[in-house]
Amino acid sequence: MTAAVLAEARWPEAGDGPPPAVPGFVHSAFAPLVVAVADRCLRARYGSGPLPAGNRTAVVLVSASGDRASAAHVRATVAAGGRVGPLFFFQSVPNSVAGHVAARWGLDGPVVCLSPAGDPRAEGAAEADLLLYDGDAAQALLVLIEQAPDGTPGEATAVLLGEGTRQ
Amino acid sequence: MAERETVRITGVHALSALGRGADALLAGVLAGTPAFAPVRRFDTAGRRVTVAATLPEVGTLAEELADTVDRACRAAALDRTHRAGAALFLAAHGGPHALPAPDGGDAGPEVPALAGHLVRRCGLGDRARVYTTACVSASTAVADAATLIGRGDLDRVVVAAGYLVEPDQFALFDAGRALAADGAVRPFSAGRQGLLLGDGVVAVVLESARAAARRGAPTLATVAGWGRAGDAYHPCQPHPQGHGLARAVEAALRRAGLPGTAVGYVNANATGTPYSDVSEAAALVRVFGAAAGRIPVSSTKAVHGHALEASGLLELVVTVLALGHGKLPVNAGWLGPDESCPLDVVTDAPRPAATAHALTLNAAFGGANTALLVGAP
Repeated sequence: MTAAVLAEARWPEAGDGPPPAVPGFVHSAFAPLVVAVADRCLRARYGSGPLPAGNRTAVVLVSASGDRASAAHVRATVAAGGRVGPLFFFQSVPNSVAGHVAARWGLDGPVVCLSPAGDPRAEGAAEADLLLYDGDAAQALLVLIEQAPDGTPGEATAVLLGEGTRQ
Repeated sequence: MAERETVRITGVHALSALGRGADALLAGVLAGTPAFAPVRRFDTAGRRVTVAATLPEVGTLAEELADTVDRACRAAALDRTHRAGAALFLAAHGGPHALPAPDGGDAGPEVPALAGHLVRRCGLGDRARVYTTACVSASTAVADAATLIGRGDLDRVVVAAGYLVEPDQFALFDAGRALAADGAVRPFSAGRQGLLLGDGVVAVVLESARAAARRGAPTLATVAGWGRAGDAYHPCQPHPQGHGLARAVEAALRRAGLPGTAVGYVNANATGTPYSDVSEAAALVRVFGAAAGRIPVSSTKAVHGHALEASGLLELVVTVLALGHGKLPVNAGWLGPDESCPLDVVTDAPRPAATAHALTLNAAFGGANTALLVGAP
């Protein structure tokens, strides 16, 4: 089974500046980028949302590097014997921003984060495929994001996969 | 759709603060003596909490994972050919290593390159996935492996997971005031104050029934059902009524074709955190109704600590061993009942396990929830 692409978005597009800040997330562009591209993709399909309960839409976040900027900040702070700010705890795993997107849009399918060794889109699509096959998800929002080695924002793609036709 | 392949567990190995190997893990959770002690592995000066459940003299995470995968494969009696046909699903935290190698050398590759390293070291096939889904990483990997085996895509998957207590996550959990200031984990109990971290490096060999039978492999347990669902509620807090976790349990039961009455034990996610334990209890009541108060429940995190990305696999192995041994482990740290957790918590001593099916539950940031339904062989 291969799911159809119901909507797709990228960040940045022409004219985009930095993605808007997300309340509760600090220091890094990782979470703002995920939220910006997910919002753009879901708005194309659902307007302002949220989706009705029981939509079983999975969030599959695929990133080899993860939030490199936050991890590097924590590593440097701890290595220097310092104390990290509490907000870094809440954004210490990619699940947090995936959960932010899920809560904002009412996506009540599984949350899965992968660190791909190969082609990110292929690995994410394979995960979406098995969740749809299994029935835990009826559709899946795939978010592909990589930060540059220096932690600068980079780019992200969001793809809504499921049965149906593209709008 | 063709009838789904039965998924068998044919080999396990685990490292935790309770020791190395399945026997040490089983003995430790049945003894019920918490393994928390002052952390010696790194400096905890300035932290609010300074204890965790750590095993002395561990190698790097890469070394311990390679050893654990190798031992699980040997426990499953996989020869070189069988190993070469196995996929690897790895659950681990992303980002830089925070623990230096004990000898001051290389700490080994980071995620996701760590998976390729393990594949080469352990002679596995080249199909690998790396899960960084926080505290449901390993349980999601098991569910996905079971799906792919059930669909006939794969015959054999080694699921491996690793977390060794290290200074960065320790500092983060301390900063988030998630750690229990009284130095004890008290799941579902009155007076609980939070979680404590613990080592967990675990590997489990999953096989299709046909593949296991072809090579005459012994079966430790079956993965009879599994479910994953999201709360759609909050970036970090679980739904107060456990909506996502309840749907994960319902999916696991549905997939197994079993009624709730078939479940005779729940190895709970319960971390000892006031808010999330209530959420889990609410999920169990939502699924099982009044019967939730009659199903034996324990969270062995009270003994071995929270192994984060590896917790789901460590607790799956505990559940498999408990069913196989016929005794249900205790929920240590108990001070007294909390009326918002109306469950039958195993508190004083291990109970006889008069059941063929048990659930092991996990939940994570992002409102991610999983349920694995284990069947006795």
